[in-house]
Amino acid sequence: MRRLWGLCALVLLLTACGQTSAPLPFAPAEADRLIIYTSHREEVYSPLVKEFEERTGVWVQVETGGSGALLSRAAEEAEDPVCDLFLGGGVDTLQAFSCLFEPYVSPLQEELSPAFRCPDGTWTAFSSLPVVLVYNPVLIRSNPPDSWRSLLDPAWQGKIAFASPSLSSSSYTALAALLQVLPEEDGTLLASFAQNLEGRTLETPIQVAQAIAGGSCYIGVIPEDIALQAIEDGRDVALLCPKEGTCTLPDGMAVISGCAHGANARRFIDFALSKDVQRYLGEHCFRRSVRADLQREETAFLSFDYDATWAGIHRESLLEQWQALIEQGEA
Amino acid sequence: MRKWLRGSFRNRMFAAMLLTALAPLLLGGALMLRLQVQRTESGLARQAELQLEDLESALDELCAACGRITEDLAGSTVVHSAFHRGGGGSRTLYQVLYRTTEPLRDYMRFDIADSSGLCCYTTGAALPAQAMDTHWGLLLAAGGEPGLIFRSEPDGGLSAARAVRGHGGELLGYITASMDQTGFLRLFGERYNATCEVLLLDRQWRTVYYSRPAQAAETVSALRTQLLSGAPLTGADGEYRFYAARHEATGFTLILQQPRTFTGRVMDAIYVVSAFVGTLCVLLSLLCTWLLSRYLSQPVHQLDQAMGEVERGRLDVRLETGREDELGRLAGSFNRMTEEYRANLERNLRRQRELNETKLRMMQAQLNPHFLYNTLDTVKWLGVAHHVPQVADLATNLAAILRAAISGNEIVTLDRELDLVERYLSIQSIRFGDRFTCEIDVQERYRSCLVPKLALQPLVENAILHGVADLEEGYIKLWAEEADGDLILTVSDNGPGIPREILDAVNCPDKQAPGGHLGLFNVDSIIRLHYGPGYGLSAAVLSGEGSQVRLRLPMGRKEDFYAEGSGR
Repeated sequence: MRRLWGLCALVLLLTACGQTSAPLPFAPAEADRLIIYTSHREEVYSPLVKEFEERTGVWVQVETGGSGALLSRAAEEAEDPVCDLFLGGGVDTLQAFSCLFEPYVSPLQEELSPAFRCPDGTWTAFSSLPVVLVYNPVLIRSNPPDSWRSLLDPAWQGKIAFASPSLSSSSYTALAALLQVLPEEDGTLLASFAQNLEGRTLETPIQVAQAIAGGSCYIGVIPEDIALQAIEDGRDVALLCPKEGTCTLPDGMAVISGCAHGANARRFIDFALSKDVQRYLGEHCFRRSVRADLQREETAFLSFDYDATWAGIHRESLLEQWQALIEQGEA
Repeated sequence: MRKWLRGSFRNRMFAAMLLTALAPLLLGGALMLRLQVQRTESGLARQAELQLEDLESALDELCAACGRITEDLAGSTVVHSAFHRGGGGSRTLYQVLYRTTEPLRDYMRFDIADSSGLCCYTTGAALPAQAMDTHWGLLLAAGGEPGLIFRSEPDGGLSAARAVRGHGGELLGYITASMDQTGFLRLFGERYNATCEVLLLDRQWRTVYYSRPAQAAETVSALRTQLLSGAPLTGADGEYRFYAARHEATGFTLILQQPRTFTGRVMDAIYVVSAFVGTLCVLLSLLCTWLLSRYLSQPVHQLDQAMGEVERGRLDVRLETGREDELGRLAGSFNRMTEEYRANLERNLRRQRELNETKLRMMQAQLNPHFLYNTLDTVKWLGVAHHVPQVADLATNLAAILRAAISGNEIVTLDRELDLVERYLSIQSIRFGDRFTCEIDVQERYRSCLVPKLALQPLVENAILHGVADLEEGYIKLWAEEADGDLILTVSDNGPGIPREILDAVNCPDKQAPGGHLGLFNVDSIIRLHYGPGYGLSAAVLSGEGSQVRLRLPMGRKEDFYAEGSGR
């Protein structure tokens, strides 16, 4: 009898609580989904994602963050990947995480400039993003810094804005470029640059642009699009290409190995390499196209032969050294 | 717990009553609460669905009208010729544009753009300076597909486009329509409750319109995440309920955001109040059932206790319940039963006593031979006739003793008994001559005391026969005294003393009639039967010489005896 009562109560409670709303029938099928980790700014990825969704009907979920942080997260999730496509980050950084990615050679790769092709398909170039020197034209009226060596000039000590290379891949590219361009030994160069920074680094290139426009720093190194955006926004920022030349290293995208929506990820890569998107990037996002048919000679920067493979291989050890130097500088 | 339940009728009753009081109350309460919540929510859901239908039909009408207008414009020869001519500013086209778009101009802005995306005509305030991208978004889609294409704007708002094609199918330009917050507010404004909000989302759930633009990004992103993760739609803070409907013409999703009546906080409050009321109910039913179980079980408890008392021998226990129900009747039955039991015991006692008296009479009947008396009368007259006065005296005394023995009176005064003793002594003095003397020392006040008849004679006889019979100067003394309110009659002699075994037998509480000394035992039996075990004979051997027999009797006088009635 007592058991019967208990049963009655249980049934009552269950029927009472069971009336929760059922999931909606609007949710897309698994085949119509894509999850992207991106380090790009919203202004860059958002129109692309919207256009991709409208053209294909695929629902895209976007996770944003710094490229280093997102890659670490993807590495942690490698066993059971959440992300399908990694969008953003210099290809040297992507190269360092090549074990995370599933090679894909897009049929559109042929239409890219030869310099931006990845032969094994680990990554696919997204846009070309030269690193440029920026300065505050109001504070520096004559003799602006014009070379990589200026970054080591004691005259600018404590007045250089630089994003942490472990958080920002463009910053790491700039650091690697500095080491490759200047003839001195790596350790010496790192030490004197860290000393010139007085151990202070910022988190993102946008903060670098803000620091220079705001006058708290005089010079800095950031990707071209951020500098151009700052100038477009009317900030006190001027940019120039170092006279040794800059690296025209592209930022890339890559399919995560073992991901759930690989087909859609590859579809997105093809979409991103399409002429429409590459043109859109140039016209609205201050980015240089990686397509051969969209190269514009008149704005091309002098570039040196940046060794992305070297940068990829030495990333960890260089960042370790750098971290030690920065901590030392802070102390 | 089990022991607690099994040990007491009251506890069982208490538990049962508590269960029957609480279980339906709490279950019913919970059910009512649940039903109330569900009823309210289903009512709200119905309301929301009706509003959604209304909103949907409004959107349907708008889309249909927009489709007709853009189709009219795209097919208009005026538009075609304007495109062929190139440039803008055609007044005829503006006339056509204004006339055609009349029904929707309050809601939408219509533009006509050439094939490069440059806007040439508009119903808006000014022509946009920049050309629209024909390789991107809306115009690309419109160029690729026949019919009207609907898209969301990146910052919210609806845009629609239709390609204008020449007779050869060549692209001439585009008719675009756009609708902003104000247009939607006009369209939807009157069609939903003021407490609700409306969302219009595109195919991939990006904002087209939200009646609360400030929260658009947060809410829509939360909804989109919930949809993709398969969770129910609760929005960013869970304070609202969302009802969604797919709009077929555009593929968009129309969502009505309704404030939840039973939000987490409200439900918490309801649960707190319910818990409070529930606790109150529990306490109240605890109190009530406790009192009720006590009231109901009290008579049973009393009965149980009274029964225990009866078992311990207290037969005068009575139950006073004052109730008229079964338990009252049960208590009455108990009272009658114990009363009956007590009366029964008394009856038994009385019968026993009557039996004893019968035995007593039978014993006395042994001493009642009538013919002896008649013979003695004859002997007396013979003694008188033959002038032997001793024989006459002997016969007279013996006859008096016999008469006393025959008479019906069981109890006589001590005075009378002493008279019998003296007669007996005078008989014995003839036999023994002057070899013993007997002194009777009884004060006058004891003489009216009542004693069983012939109780003293056997004692004196015993003293003579077993005490002084063989002595030359025997001495017997009989006296009366009072001790603890009882009358003590003592007969002592200076004889050799009562033999030890007789002494023990007399003093033993449960006496068995031995071979000799039958008289003593008879006296003892008679007294015990009359007055109870506290009275009777006791014997002692005196330290010097001789023995002493004491008779203990209650100090009853003649008047007392008759006052108490003849029950004894």
